[in-house]
Amino acid sequence: MRSARQWSVLALRRQPLLPVWVVLLLTLAGLYSGFGTTANLRNIAIQASPLIIAAVGATFVIMTAGIDLSVGSILFLAAAIESSQALISAPAGAVFLAIAAAGLLMGLLNGVAVAMTRVPALIVTLASMQVFRGAGGHITGQQNIDLPAHLRGIGTGSLLGVPAPVLLAALTAIGAGMLFSRTVFGRYTQAVGSNRAAALNAGLPVRSVTAGAYAFAGLLAAVASLTQTARLGAVQPSIGDGFELTVITAVVLGGTSLFGGRGSITGTVLGALVLTTAQTGLVFSGASPYVFDIVRGGVLLTAVIAAGTRWRNLAQTLRLPGRSSSGGGRTISSA
Amino acid sequence: MKASLIIRSMAALTASCLALAACGSSAKQSGSATSGKTVTIGVSFDLLNAIRQAEKAAIEKAAKTAGYDVVFTVADKDPQKQSSQIQDLIQTRKVSAVIVIAQDGQQIASSVSLAKARNVPFIAIDRAIADQQDVTFQITGDPSADGRLSAAEFSSAAKTEPLKVLELVGALTDQNAIGRRDGFNAALKGDPNVTIVSQVPTNWDPAQALDGTSNALQKNPDINAIFVPSDFLLPSVQSALTSANRLAPIGDPKHVFLVTIDGDQNGCEAMRAKTLDADIATPVDEFGRQAVSAITTALGGKAVNPRTVQTRGLTLNQAGFAATSPQVWGCVA
Repeated sequence: MRSARQWSVLALRRQPLLPVWVVLLLTLAGLYSGFGTTANLRNIAIQASPLIIAAVGATFVIMTAGIDLSVGSILFLAAAIESSQALISAPAGAVFLAIAAAGLLMGLLNGVAVAMTRVPALIVTLASMQVFRGAGGHITGQQNIDLPAHLRGIGTGSLLGVPAPVLLAALTAIGAGMLFSRTVFGRYTQAVGSNRAAALNAGLPVRSVTAGAYAFAGLLAAVASLTQTARLGAVQPSIGDGFELTVITAVVLGGTSLFGGRGSITGTVLGALVLTTAQTGLVFSGASPYVFDIVRGGVLLTAVIAAGTRWRNLAQTLRLPGRSSSGGGRTISSA
Repeated sequence: MKASLIIRSMAALTASCLALAACGSSAKQSGSATSGKTVTIGVSFDLLNAIRQAEKAAIEKAAKTAGYDVVFTVADKDPQKQSSQIQDLIQTRKVSAVIVIAQDGQQIASSVSLAKARNVPFIAIDRAIADQQDVTFQITGDPSADGRLSAAEFSSAAKTEPLKVLELVGALTDQNAIGRRDGFNAALKGDPNVTIVSQVPTNWDPAQALDGTSNALQKNPDINAIFVPSDFLLPSVQSALTSANRLAPIGDPKHVFLVTIDGDQNGCEAMRAKTLDADIATPVDEFGRQAVSAITTALGGKAVNPRTVQTRGLTLNQAGFAATSPQVWGCVA
């Protein structure tokens, strides 16, 4: 039996971002009146929800040593499809299912292209980013389209006092955490990212797993789109523009290695919460608008440097000469 | 191997289709050009949104009146892509003149030089070009004046009730956003009845505008006025106000004084619903009319005079709504 202290130490070792977030919250609450109120914490949770949902999906992709730059465009195209004449007046359940299917399909297209060719994921998703955004622009005619009330509930409603986006983000994170750590697919995802060559030699279905990771990311980007557009109350042409960078920042900040094979869903959730809390704190601080971009860029840089340092430490521990393209000797950790 | 073969075949097929499409397009263009009768204007926009759609329509309307054809391209906010598109318009499609909304007023310099070298009139609209030496004609709004006009509405309203203002700012790299912010701030400096309690950047992103407005309302629940630097951020602000139970028509004690800029359909609808107090409308039709007029002058071998025009926005407020709205592009679209 482990003592509570041992559990705490273990939790902190696994999630070093947790104390960072708690300290950030306490500091901001101490500095600015109104920050620590229930209403504001609820506000932060609602704002973080679309990011958490999309970043959880992106974690699977990055775990396979891949990258998905099309997250923001999938979000926009999903929103555009939602606002199309065919769907906008349909029952909410049917619309949500259709959007989820569309996101899954978009992600699958990325996944199949990455898995079946030797074109780097960066290039594939850079191309699909433009294709999806263009398609979304074609559907909307680059106009703002108001959403009817029945499609806004997923962003503005609540269940038993819990805001719908927060509930959806929590369910997504729990479900994805289980998928990640307790299923064959989750284990294979980590194995593929850890050492693709070894995974192939071991007979793992590397292509299917890779395609599945992108499909899952596409599905969650579409779900994030549903909550985001519902909160906005309208589909706008610039929705999701640059969102992929925020998503990647949250994932990397949460400890997922850009080289694949290592990461956790809990870390990603914490990464998204830290980013959103910092963003809210900046408004409360009354900082110059220029400081916002500096902080955003600084957080990304810190996350990437921290990820690099971790790799070097690991390499030294395992007495590896350096990181090779085959990526041998990486550890696998679960959520 | 099979997959690779299929993909290569598909790539080859796609490339063939694109080549055929390009040939077809070139043939059509060169046919028009060699006839010597049709003037074709190449248009390159930085992006496409509601106001750009209106600007596109204004150019097409003016070109149609003048008997010109229009070839339209969009750069998706990519300066390099815009440069390539303009090069293609001038060298491959051999257009008679170009109308450009520059994504980057500095980086567009090479395109301006190319147009000059090929003796193609270069017209800049909406966004100013940094080096205007070789620009044939430029017509833009006056973002600073638009900011000042917005500020005048705040000053006027603050005479009856002091205002605590949330100021949203567009992208900090966009001269229009900076001009609007600076004009607004300069005009309100020293006004004892108006206090800017929070300034939040949005990067022209609706989600950032929504979150920023929500955060500012949490920090300062006594905010009773918001400056929105573009109509397209208005739905985000309205959503944030709805969540805070603060979206109410003029006259309601909960009403938050709102002024925005552009004059699009969102703004006009909000004016009709009396949830928006004023909208500074961009004179979009004027951009198209004067740009095409300048092309006619330049192609006639004359110098365009004046070479630079700045147009102020039109104030659409509740008091003058009936009289002014027919002149606002978002109200007549």
